[in-house]
Amino acid sequence: MSTAQPHVPDVSIEDRLYTVKYRDAGESHLGVKDPDICVECTSNECTQVCPAAVWTVEEDSDGVPSIAYENCLECGTCRFGCPHDNVRWEYPKTGGGVVFKQG
Amino acid sequence: MSAQETNGSLQLPKMQSETPDYNDAYDAIIVGAGLAGTAAALTMAREGLDVLMLERGPAPGTKNVFGGVLYTPTIRELVDVDSAPTERYIAEKRFSMLTSDGDETAVSMRPGAWRDEPHNDSYTVLRRRFDEWFAKQAVETGATLITETTVTGLVRDGRKIVGVKTDRPDGEIRAPVVVLAEGANSLVSEGEGLKDRQEREAVAVSVKEVFKLDRETIDDRFRLDGDAGAAYNYFGEGAVGDAVGGGFVYTNKRSVSVGVAYRIEDAANGQTPEATLDAFESHPAVAPLIRGGRRIEYSAHVIPEGGAKAMPDLVHDGAVVVGDAAGLVLNSGVHLEGTNMAVESGYHAGKAIASALADGRSDEAALAAYPRDLKDSFVVENLRHYDWFQQTIADDRKFLFEDLPRALADAETEYFKMDRTAKDEHTDAARDRLLDAAGGWYGAAKRAWRYRRMLS
Ligand SMILES: Cc1cc2nc3c(=O)[nH]c(=O)nc-3n(C[C@H](O)[C@H](O)[C@H](O)COP(=O)(O)OP(=O)(O)OC[C@H]3O[C@@H](n4cnc5c(N)ncnc54)[C@H](O)[C@@H]3O)c2cc1C
Ligand code: SF4
Ligand code: SF4
Repeated sequence: MSTAQPHVPDVSIEDRLYTVKYRDAGESHLGVKDPDICVECTSNECTQVCPAAVWTVEEDSDGVPSIAYENCLECGTCRFGCPHDNVRWEYPKTGGGVVFKQG
Repeated sequence: MSAQETNGSLQLPKMQSETPDYNDAYDAIIVGAGLAGTAAALTMAREGLDVLMLERGPAPGTKNVFGGVLYTPTIRELVDVDSAPTERYIAEKRFSMLTSDGDETAVSMRPGAWRDEPHNDSYTVLRRRFDEWFAKQAVETGATLITETTVTGLVRDGRKIVGVKTDRPDGEIRAPVVVLAEGANSLVSEGEGLKDRQEREAVAVSVKEVFKLDRETIDDRFRLDGDAGAAYNYFGEGAVGDAVGGGFVYTNKRSVSVGVAYRIEDAANGQTPEATLDAFESHPAVAPLIRGGRRIEYSAHVIPEGGAKAMPDLVHDGAVVVGDAAGLVLNSGVHLEGTNMAVESGYHAGKAIASALADGRSDEAALAAYPRDLKDSFVVENLRHYDWFQQTIADDRKFLFEDLPRALADAETEYFKMDRTAKDEHTDAARDRLLDAAGGWYGAAKRAWRYRRMLS
């Protein structure tokens, strides 16, 4: 067994998202189907599974997540991750949203 | 409509805001110009059909993410792979077990035969470049491609599917057959009741980063030359922590793709994708491979992992489902294949549609050659063969991902230990260490039996 300290990459989610190109579709393609379900939900898996920090539930809020849709990578994870199937997920309008250059 | 070449770049026709009347101008409409959709379009265009590909992104590939290795046996049937924008051919495959303490145990293979054309039909590619090129081949064969157009639903006449709705003004287009090639996020198929949304246990999340490095650095670090490339796959706690899945490192010409893929279930239980990627990139076995590289793209995508059991009905009156939309991905631990299955399904679907339309039909029975041919192909065969796998490794997670990698590292440390003890004693101790982890001779035999199907 090694005692070597793993090197933790010196990178934030903002740095990472900065490498991604987007075309703003102007309106959110994401939402919740029924806010009441989010109010009841205590596990907030949507905030755990999203790789782009799109979903956050503020401490002092009623439990309904706020959604930074502009950062969305359109991966689809939150669609499956919400145990209550409460994520409203559409494709951004008119070809908007993420534009990968490598993929 | 035809595509025109200007200044070397392809100008694709875009829909006007006043949508012209395309109704029944096409034999088939394809939803999604990814690998499956383009393979279907190419197959049908070669049979002389008029086909329309609708792609939601500004160009094919702009919305697509994968790990890195494209398998080309069926693509070779359809186009000249030699002129495709591939990065490197796979000259080496490597499988590594990582512990969270920084140990690595690897098996590596570089068969000489892979150096010769067609290189085992395995190449790293960047989807943005490849998908656009592939779609262009379909357009040159006679297919029509319209981008920036999202299909939002299907048009029906009774039970029969007779066209698509799009997000364009007056955006309904009718055609006898619709090919649903929309990938893992199959909103149209789900919305129209052609398949159920998968449970999260059957879907993986993957996050990936591309690091820019110069060619010589990559050649040196991975011991490559010319167009040779490497595909490294990683397992164990050091790869994906407390989750079921794996990590990967693939070499492109001037960049390296690094990522992790594991069950959404595990992410929901508290292991976030970003933290998992960070830990993998910091592992002593991985960090030196990407050191000094500049991050040029962060991306993520889901992967269906439900196997044959989760496959929806592939054929309906007036429609077929292909590729990831149909859940055609093999993730056996050793194999991660979806590109070959997407292309193979598009190919069989295209053939079946052409022969049904030749008889003037497009009903479910007339299209049944597609699921039949797919069942006879390697696609369904392989999916069936590995159906047991996902559940078995999930059940055996602790042994496979924690105990075994650690026992291997301990055993090899013991076996090669330099001290003044006789080699015999080290060998015995090393064997005991492995047997302990496997649960003694009985446990080892039981496990060998459980995993025998990996090789059979
Ligand atoms: C991270 C990751 C790593 C992988 N690694 C590998 C690997 O190394 N090797 C391998 O063989 N496989 C790999 N796979 C699997 C492989 O990428 C897929 O199986 C394959 O891309 C599926 O092709 P497809 O054509 O079915 O779907 P996609 O390639 O996803 O194409 C779907 C297309 O449809 C478009 N679309 C979707 N909905 C609509 C709509 N409503 N209207 C219009 N257009 C729409 C999309 O924009 C997209 O272009 C990996 C997958 C992931 C996510
Ligand atoms: S979206 Fe789902 S997981 Fe997130 S808070 Fe609402 S119910 Fe909970
Ligand atoms: S699709 Fe992916 S990136 Fe977008 S919000 Fe959902 S989980 Fe986050």
